[in-house]
Amino acid sequence: MSAVIDNMDKIFNLSLVYATFRSASPIIFAALCAAITQQANILNVGTEGIMLVGAFTAVAVSYFSGSWIIGVGAAMLAGAVIAMIIGVGHVKYKADNCAIGMGINMLALAITKFLLNVIFGTNGSFTSPDIDPIPRVHIGFLENIPVLGTLLNDWSLMEWFVIVLIIVLQFLFYKTVWGLRLRAVGQFEEAAKTAGIKVNAVKYQAIFIAGLIGGLAGAHLSLGYSTQFTENMTNNRGFMGVAAMYFGGANPVLTSLGCLLFGFADSVGSRLQAYGIPSQFVLMMPYIVTVVVLSISMAVKLSMNKKRQSSLT
Amino acid sequence: MSKAKEGFLRVILTMAVALAIGALLIIAIGENPIDAYGALLNGAFNGKFRLGTTLAGFTPLLLTSIAFAIAAKAGAFNVGVEGEVFLGGIVAAYIGINWTFLPKPLLIIACFVGAMVVAALWAFIPAALRAFYNVSEVCTTILMNTVALHITSYLVSGPMSAGTANPQTAPVTVTLYQFMKPSSANVGMFIAIIAVIAVIFMLYKTSWGYKIRTVGGNPNHADYVGISSKKVFIGAMMLSGALGGMAGCIEVLGVHGYFLNNFATGLGSNGMLAALIVKNNMFATPFMAFFLAVLSAGGMGMQQMTGVPKALVDTIAAVFIIIATMETLFTFKKRRDIRVAEKKKKEGQS
Amino acid sequence: MSEYVVEMRDIVKTFGEVQAVKHGEFTLKKGEIHSLIGENGAGKSTMMKLLYGMYPIDSGEIIVKGEKMGVLDPKIAINHGIGMVHQEFMLVNELTVLENIILGFEPKKGFTIDFDQARKEVQRYIDEYDMEVQLDKKISQISVGEAQRVEIIKTLMRGADVIILDEPTAVLTPQEAKRLFEILNNLKEGGKSLVFISHKLNEVMEISDRISVMRQGNYMGTVEKAETSPLDLTKRMIGREVFLDIDKSYGKAGDTILEVKDIWVPSGKETSKIRGMSLSVREGEIVGIAGIDGNGQSELIEAITGLRHVEKGSVIINGKDVTNLSPRKVRAAGLAHIPEDRNRMGLNRSLSIVDNLIAVRLDEPPFTKGKLLNKKDQDSYAEEMVKQFDIRPTDYNLPTSALSGGNAQKVVVAREVSMKKKLLVASQPTRGVDIGAIELIRNTLEKAKKEGAGVLLVSAELEEIISLSDRIIVIHEGKITGEMLASEANENNLGLLMMGGEQKRKESEAAV
Repeated sequence: MSAVIDNMDKIFNLSLVYATFRSASPIIFAALCAAITQQANILNVGTEGIMLVGAFTAVAVSYFSGSWIIGVGAAMLAGAVIAMIIGVGHVKYKADNCAIGMGINMLALAITKFLLNVIFGTNGSFTSPDIDPIPRVHIGFLENIPVLGTLLNDWSLMEWFVIVLIIVLQFLFYKTVWGLRLRAVGQFEEAAKTAGIKVNAVKYQAIFIAGLIGGLAGAHLSLGYSTQFTENMTNNRGFMGVAAMYFGGANPVLTSLGCLLFGFADSVGSRLQAYGIPSQFVLMMPYIVTVVVLSISMAVKLSMNKKRQSSLT
Repeated sequence: MSKAKEGFLRVILTMAVALAIGALLIIAIGENPIDAYGALLNGAFNGKFRLGTTLAGFTPLLLTSIAFAIAAKAGAFNVGVEGEVFLGGIVAAYIGINWTFLPKPLLIIACFVGAMVVAALWAFIPAALRAFYNVSEVCTTILMNTVALHITSYLVSGPMSAGTANPQTAPVTVTLYQFMKPSSANVGMFIAIIAVIAVIFMLYKTSWGYKIRTVGGNPNHADYVGISSKKVFIGAMMLSGALGGMAGCIEVLGVHGYFLNNFATGLGSNGMLAALIVKNNMFATPFMAFFLAVLSAGGMGMQQMTGVPKALVDTIAAVFIIIATMETLFTFKKRRDIRVAEKKKKEGQS
Repeated sequence: MSEYVVEMRDIVKTFGEVQAVKHGEFTLKKGEIHSLIGENGAGKSTMMKLLYGMYPIDSGEIIVKGEKMGVLDPKIAINHGIGMVHQEFMLVNELTVLENIILGFEPKKGFTIDFDQARKEVQRYIDEYDMEVQLDKKISQISVGEAQRVEIIKTLMRGADVIILDEPTAVLTPQEAKRLFEILNNLKEGGKSLVFISHKLNEVMEISDRISVMRQGNYMGTVEKAETSPLDLTKRMIGREVFLDIDKSYGKAGDTILEVKDIWVPSGKETSKIRGMSLSVREGEIVGIAGIDGNGQSELIEAITGLRHVEKGSVIINGKDVTNLSPRKVRAAGLAHIPEDRNRMGLNRSLSIVDNLIAVRLDEPPFTKGKLLNKKDQDSYAEEMVKQFDIRPTDYNLPTSALSGGNAQKVVVAREVSMKKKLLVASQPTRGVDIGAIELIRNTLEKAKKEGAGVLLVSAELEEIISLSDRIIVIHEGKITGEMLASEANENNLGLLMMGGEQKRKESEAAV
């Protein structure tokens, strides 16, 4: 423990800022995936599975095509296909969100394992120099600027893109026609229907886009964040995304801020590991933080509601 | 057509579709589905060892599936059974190793009680968060599974480690009798069956069960008639947790004889699968648990005898559940019309 | 082109095994107000929802402005100039008034919504028909009357010249209804054709040009207003004489059974918060609570029955202070409760009739012995209840989801009244049930009173309040604005108090 205290400056330094964002980035993608369907009042429990399939597809296609662009594109499509299974099941055949979402997660786990075995003839994980990773963005002139250089240089392309995506979605939800309709569908379906909006079409669109982003989340995980595919490599990041979506109220900006908290727990944790904290404690930290933060945010929401509803004010 | 008969037909149809999709996948990788399924059945049933292994695999699934279903009857979606199995297992191991001052029969009981109590308390956390702060129990239980896994993993690699290469504890001093050696089928199966019968009896024949069904059906109604939906919800979740803990205890005392790191991976989710497929029907869930036990025990044999990887059976199970959740897919024409009409009628009432 | 803007001929619509419309006919002339009347479940709303394309028709034809319609959906109906103001407002609470109005027909500027353009267009209708609304408020912040105007503007924005109003006055006070009628007349003068769905004959006689009647899914004819009378319409609507007026026995009121002392109760809606309310109910009397929906009725009932937190003040039942006790303990003190929404609260739709009947007597022998359920005694009790309350179908092992509205409500009433508790709280006991059930339920309340129970009755139907109650308490925005004997009450003086009382009249009218 004293080692930790002695090395505080090494744990909490400037590079922690990027480390936090880096750890959070796959979760942000996942959370945005969950936020889109949530706006249409569909709890996307299948985020985890969509992401895992995306991760596998990205690695497999990048490996065979030698192009990360094709890999990412294929991952997004695969994510959308998986998402549409949820979509059809839920919208057309009235499947319960949680049930079909968990089913999708299991399917993703099983089928990626199966394909890993069949295509690559291996178990556990697959990595190869032939996998073309998503490039990092090196900005020449930043190199020599002390703080900004450490902070901003050599980000993965997807890490820049996630910021763009947050802004795009914020704009899409709150400023565009489609966003207004999406929110109307989510909040009061009948009202949207009587306004002549094709409710199911909007839901399918939301799920489809969520699938694209979920697939991208997976691609980022397997081609950007790392360069390999591992069984169950999403490791509940999809669910952390769903949790973040909850306390961000499906608002892209607020949701993403929540994700940073997990990223922080994760990156502080991995630094602590170097100073003798058992790895299991480090590994469980983001999960505990998620549960605690989720609970606190819900409790705060509840008490704010109570205050708002009070007759005494 | 009676409701039960129709439900049965639906499950059979769904099963057929799932197996057919599995067969397509087998053909796609250039194997013969008939051979593969044959190998699967062979692997699950042929011979004392294989049958025993299937039964040993069935035992925890029976408990975890009923654990999921009983929570669902109160309206909870308890994905956390797996974590409860882990914690039940580690507590049973701790008591079984250290409380040697107790006579053996009492020690066994202590293992069970300890495992069930700790698992129930673990389930209390997400239950209370849901009941009092409306925190989605789906999220919290999933995340807490990982926490439980790491806690036990820490304990078996650190303080409770037997010092072997594989993280595991020292052997427990009491075990459950294995009746089909060399397989690990053990009397825990009968304990599990009795527990499940007791739960079903409780649910349909006692006022506790009535309260659970009321809260699950309509929590507002429950509160209105004076049944506290929060208390009952938490109670059902804790019962669910206790059943998970019992499964962990049986695994440790009956199958392994010690706590093995990661031993429960998949036990909770497969139990959940079994319950979800039959929509938490208490009477059908055990059969579905058995079917899944056959799949997973037979999958091993299939992998060894043909070129079909074991992951295929998980895929089949997942397809099974996805199709089964689609409420209106195999509803028979007439019934569907009525249901749609009922819904519309509700909407159309003026 | 025919003289009609809308013609509906030989309409049939079946939902599963229920024939909602067996034979429907309807015509609408340009620039008229045409009322469609009938009992609950007569098929009048269904007819108009068919016209608006919410469900497809089974057979028959719909002709709009001379053009025969194929399969309709709301979008097509809107494009043909049909608009509908639903009984339950189709407004999204968390969106603003403006966003609600333009939903589905948003003016665009590139990728974004052109809010300036939208505002300009909406203002035109506001000015033209004199309908004040606050465009930037969220729906959750405005009054019911205003929300209704938002709905009307919505239809106009979509270019409607045929506007269907489904029971628009159900949520309004008589005074607000008058205001609505002025707007409707403005619209008519502007050349719009209006369909007015109602079951209130006096309103129909006031506003209509022509009146069509439906009974049990069948068209019963159309008459000019000048050629008919309320009596004639009643006969057509019901097909027999009904005596809803019950033989009321006045006041041998006994001891106070319920006392509410200055309670303050929270609510999600500002106008529903209760801010200091006191009242009492004695044995052997029915006290009616009159008020516009959403002025604290639900909150009052939930506070009394232990379902909602009381922030200040106290509730005393049968001499026992039950403030903030659990519903179970409140019931034990002597409460029976018919809740306002049988689906949300009154019933567990997934369980059987018998299960629902014993829900409140779960720990009572002989229904349970120890913790074991005693099916035999439950069954004989259920059999008796089914007979006594004429619950159909009579198989008490059927799930309550199989019951019609009226029979489902009878299950609730049977369960609560058979407890013979000293205090009976009945909230909207006859909402959405058929005429037979209304008779039975009203008589049951009256009988409970005669047997000595104190009854607290909340109803949106003023007629029900006046005819059943001994005393009437009027509430407005969570406060009591008046109290009178039922014999002194009429729609006018109650309506005035429901708006917030005479002294506040000007102010509240300005807010409408």
